[in-house]
Amino acid sequence: MENTAFNIEYKPRTGSEAMCEALLDEGVEYLFGYPGGAIMPFYDALPDYPLKHILTRHEQAAAHAADGYARATGRVGVCVATSGPGATNLVTGLATAQMDSVPLVAITGQVGRPAMGKDSFQETNVMGMTLPFTKHSFLVEDPDELYPTMRRAFEIARSGRPGPVLVDVPKDVQFAACNDNGYRRLREAPTPVESPGLERAAMLLRSAKRPLILAGHGVTLGGAEMELRLLAERTGIPVVTTLLGISAFPDDHPLYLGWPGMHGQASVNRAIDRSDLLFAVGMRFDDRITGAAHKFAPNAKIIHIDVDPSELGKVIKPTVGIAADAKAAMRSILGHLDDISEGEGCARWREELKESQEPERRRQESARDEYGPIQVMDAIKAAAGPDLRLVTDVGQHQMWAAQFFKFTKPNSHITSGGLGTMGFALPAAMGVAFAYPEDPVWVVAGDGGFQMNIQELATIRDFGLNIKVAVLNNGYLGMVRQWQQFFHNRRYSETPITGPDYEQLTAAYGLTGRTVREGDNVEAAVRWAQEQEGCTILDFHIDPEANVYPMIPSGMSVNEMIEEDGA
Amino acid sequence: MPEPATGVALNTIEVRFTGGMLALNRLLMTLQNKRMPVAGFTLARDAEGMRATIMLDCPPESAQRYTALISALEDVSEAGPAETVEVAMIEASGDWRASAERSGIEAHESGGMVVASGDPEKMEGFLASLGDSVEDIVRLGPVARPDARGGV
Repeated sequence: MENTAFNIEYKPRTGSEAMCEALLDEGVEYLFGYPGGAIMPFYDALPDYPLKHILTRHEQAAAHAADGYARATGRVGVCVATSGPGATNLVTGLATAQMDSVPLVAITGQVGRPAMGKDSFQETNVMGMTLPFTKHSFLVEDPDELYPTMRRAFEIARSGRPGPVLVDVPKDVQFAACNDNGYRRLREAPTPVESPGLERAAMLLRSAKRPLILAGHGVTLGGAEMELRLLAERTGIPVVTTLLGISAFPDDHPLYLGWPGMHGQASVNRAIDRSDLLFAVGMRFDDRITGAAHKFAPNAKIIHIDVDPSELGKVIKPTVGIAADAKAAMRSILGHLDDISEGEGCARWREELKESQEPERRRQESARDEYGPIQVMDAIKAAAGPDLRLVTDVGQHQMWAAQFFKFTKPNSHITSGGLGTMGFALPAAMGVAFAYPEDPVWVVAGDGGFQMNIQELATIRDFGLNIKVAVLNNGYLGMVRQWQQFFHNRRYSETPITGPDYEQLTAAYGLTGRTVREGDNVEAAVRWAQEQEGCTILDFHIDPEANVYPMIPSGMSVNEMIEEDGA
Repeated sequence: MPEPATGVALNTIEVRFTGGMLALNRLLMTLQNKRMPVAGFTLARDAEGMRATIMLDCPPESAQRYTALISALEDVSEAGPAETVEVAMIEASGDWRASAERSGIEAHESGGMVVASGDPEKMEGFLASLGDSVEDIVRLGPVARPDARGGV
């Protein structure tokens, strides 16, 4: 018909279109996913919308990429998979996000409603399967509910304590005509009211002689880096962080001590042991931090601030427990500390701590002359500069990176802390690189974990992502081998592991790479990698039996810490 | 390991939720996943949705934390402490009526048995006041006190 003005055909939108519109309305830019039978209607609608889909080579990688994007930006990451194996492949990624409180929306296709419950082809109960490690999940059986459910999923994912939300959509619902039945926003997370707890916390901070601030991921998630710094500087209280809290406070700040825990600095563990007040904010007293919980910080009163009230008292009973967002709580406490400026009260404590770190500092300095992880980390930091965003995998290299890097940029250290997911780093770095294409993004991985999602080199090549990779290759599943050495009489059962020739592998993927061995110039190799266009892999062959020190064996305390070989 | 049972501190919470089986599944999974020391679980349904009465065998602070955790579930509209009641069937001689009245316990006679119900602490007082006149006793509870909205 020519006269379109009078012949507009009002076609109800399909479920798939409603899904895409919800994504647009949420400001989504990137989706990471992999198509399949039950999600085809959605993929059919996708090209008609200004949404950028990144085709990964495995659904697990899609989830990690969305996770990396979310961690780097603070926005909700989105991943997509089909039913059955597509959905099951997302599971590790969802669990990783749940453990580290990362906001994620996972969209899965489901078999059509008439086929559900009949063991149909590629049918799996993904909702049931993911119940323990999603913040919430939806199976949308009413097409009219699709748009509002998608919007709700985003709101749930990012509100309060963030986490992953699954939206499972049967194929026929994606096809079905649907009418938007409106979208009602959930109530905003309540801002904390002034509570006696906050005032009491301020009083304790004033009077403590050996206080420490212990900052966790909640500081980064809540965008509370500035409040943390203000609080530390106003009170003069030294700051330690959890593994995920690293980069929430600048490493080069005179008040920064380091991070405690199983592989944290010995001096930091001892500082906690001696402290009389621990101001723990946005953290959950993970067992990797506390070791034997009943022996943790035995002399300290504990102020625990977390947005999730169920975390208060879960592991460590606080003297003062405050269920609040880190940013709002610290602002309020700062208000109670208006009259102090330099924290003179604990000047002596700061001196003591500084002295206690000297031996470690000297040991680290001398290790800088030897070929090994510390040289690699130094070279990367020097070549990449202050805008570096570092994504680490899981294992020994993760601990070395956390120990030896200096993070001065907020939220520049991304790693899988809670779940400890090997294979996380490479796809997560993709999410980071899409979010910040101008920033240098480095992956530090072990030769075990790197091979777990190595297929993503193809995705990286397709999109020309400028990700640099340092593989610390010791021919072992290094952390497990270290435990076997310490606790299983060096029976290296199934930990030696081989891998490809990375130079040939990178060439096969159309990328560049080099092998670096003892005696080679580490700095020059890293500089070379930094200067290459696109993704480059450096395969550092390191001492197969290098260990991470110190180490507090699982379930033990600072008094049982192993500080070096033979200790 | 689940939190060790205290054997003495039963804290009852009532959870109201909507969402049918999926929501129930999520609630049960949360109880199991967080190793909550569940000593009793009763499910009912009324016009407002489903209602679970959960007895947790743990100190009150832990029960409070578990309640906070359950409250955070998206399907849960309300979660909080519930009143509990203990029921006792007693074979007794003597003036049990006066004791029941003094203790604040509801009691009546049925088929030769005294059926008493009330707050668990008051029940302790009532039973103690009966002393040697008690010949046999069956105690039930504590269980959640049914509210006016009924339930199954």
